[in-house]
Amino acid sequence: MPQLEQVEFFISQLFWLGVFFVILFTVLTYITLPKIRAFLNQRDNFVKSHISRQDELIKKAESIIENYEGKLTEAKNQASQIINDAKDKALKESEDLIKATEEKIQLEIKQTEERVSKEKDNAISELNDQLKDSATNFLSKITNIEKSNINL
Amino acid sequence: MAKGESPLKQFEIQSIVDINFLGFDISFTNSALWMTITTAFILIFFTVPFLKAKKTNSLSDLYPTRMQVAAELGFNFINSLLADTVGKEGKKYFPLVFTLFMFILFGNLFGMIPYSFTFTSHIIVTLALAMGVFIFVTVLGFVKHGVKFFSFFVIPGLPVYMLPLLIPIEIISYLSRPISLSVRLFANMLAGHTLLKVFAGFVSALGFFGILPLVFIIALTGLEILIAFLQAYVFAILTCLYINDALHLH
Repeated sequence: MPQLEQVEFFISQLFWLGVFFVILFTVLTYITLPKIRAFLNQRDNFVKSHISRQDELIKKAESIIENYEGKLTEAKNQASQIINDAKDKALKESEDLIKATEEKIQLEIKQTEERVSKEKDNAISELNDQLKDSATNFLSKITNIEKSNINL
Repeated sequence: MAKGESPLKQFEIQSIVDINFLGFDISFTNSALWMTITTAFILIFFTVPFLKAKKTNSLSDLYPTRMQVAAELGFNFINSLLADTVGKEGKKYFPLVFTLFMFILFGNLFGMIPYSFTFTSHIIVTLALAMGVFIFVTVLGFVKHGVKFFSFFVIPGLPVYMLPLLIPIEIISYLSRPISLSVRLFANMLAGHTLLKVFAGFVSALGFFGILPLVFIIALTGLEILIAFLQAYVFAILTCLYINDALHLH
């Protein structure tokens, strides 16, 4: 087995193993590994900062949505308020109009009735006068008494 | 593979450049060559995608390049492994575990390339790595807890008369850690590559029926790639557990 027979190469193998292991260890320790670690740390920090920024933005978006919904309900309430007000106003106006019209109609009926009764009275008194006149004429003609002396 | 060649020949070390330093033979061998390739590959694989990577300033910067994703995958894999076994304190030992895992993983994986060399199939290499880990965690334990570190060998809640029996067992199991750690990796690599070579020999020996071992080799290669990953993972997770033991004792 060459591993145990070639004793003359033991020192050479140990020497070169030492040389290359020390070279490898030194370069890796002081150059390569810090470089990789620094790079990975920087990238991790970048990703972490992005994640925290994302959380921040999500919170902001949530507050905006909340704000928006609050405003929306407020606007809805306002709108229904306005609608109710308008309805009430319109109802009142129409009721007033109806009332006023009814009053006007009542008044007109009353006036008309008054006028009618007045005219009826007039007509009756006129008729009375005419009847009186014709009765007076009739009597004066029959009795030959002066019209002015007849008093009915 | 030529007929009659030993399946163990692939593990032979060949010198590429003979170097002699103060009487020590530190020749640049095929093993050292594949260590070079592994080291260079890991450094390029993990450094280059992040050289041009700009800072993430906008959402469009969030899409990484393919190479970057692959590098991040390895980084996060070891990161979570360490976090799961050691916890927050483990961050300090991340470079060590990362280096160990990647060095062994790509050493194993490059060893799967035909005609390449698997340096993790040599006990001296795996033992050196395991001893390094062992010495590191032992020193770490003493630095963190001082003399109290010896209480690690006393299992809490045990009757006193059991201690003389169990303390030596604990000490032996502690001392055998580097051996089990290194032999596990070395033996897996050795067995896998030997098996592949043996069946590769059958392919040429059986002529037309060589198609059967060929199919088997394809499946086995997949299994070996899995083992290459698994052994690196086992080495890394055991290192994490040893660090955890040293930090928290029991």
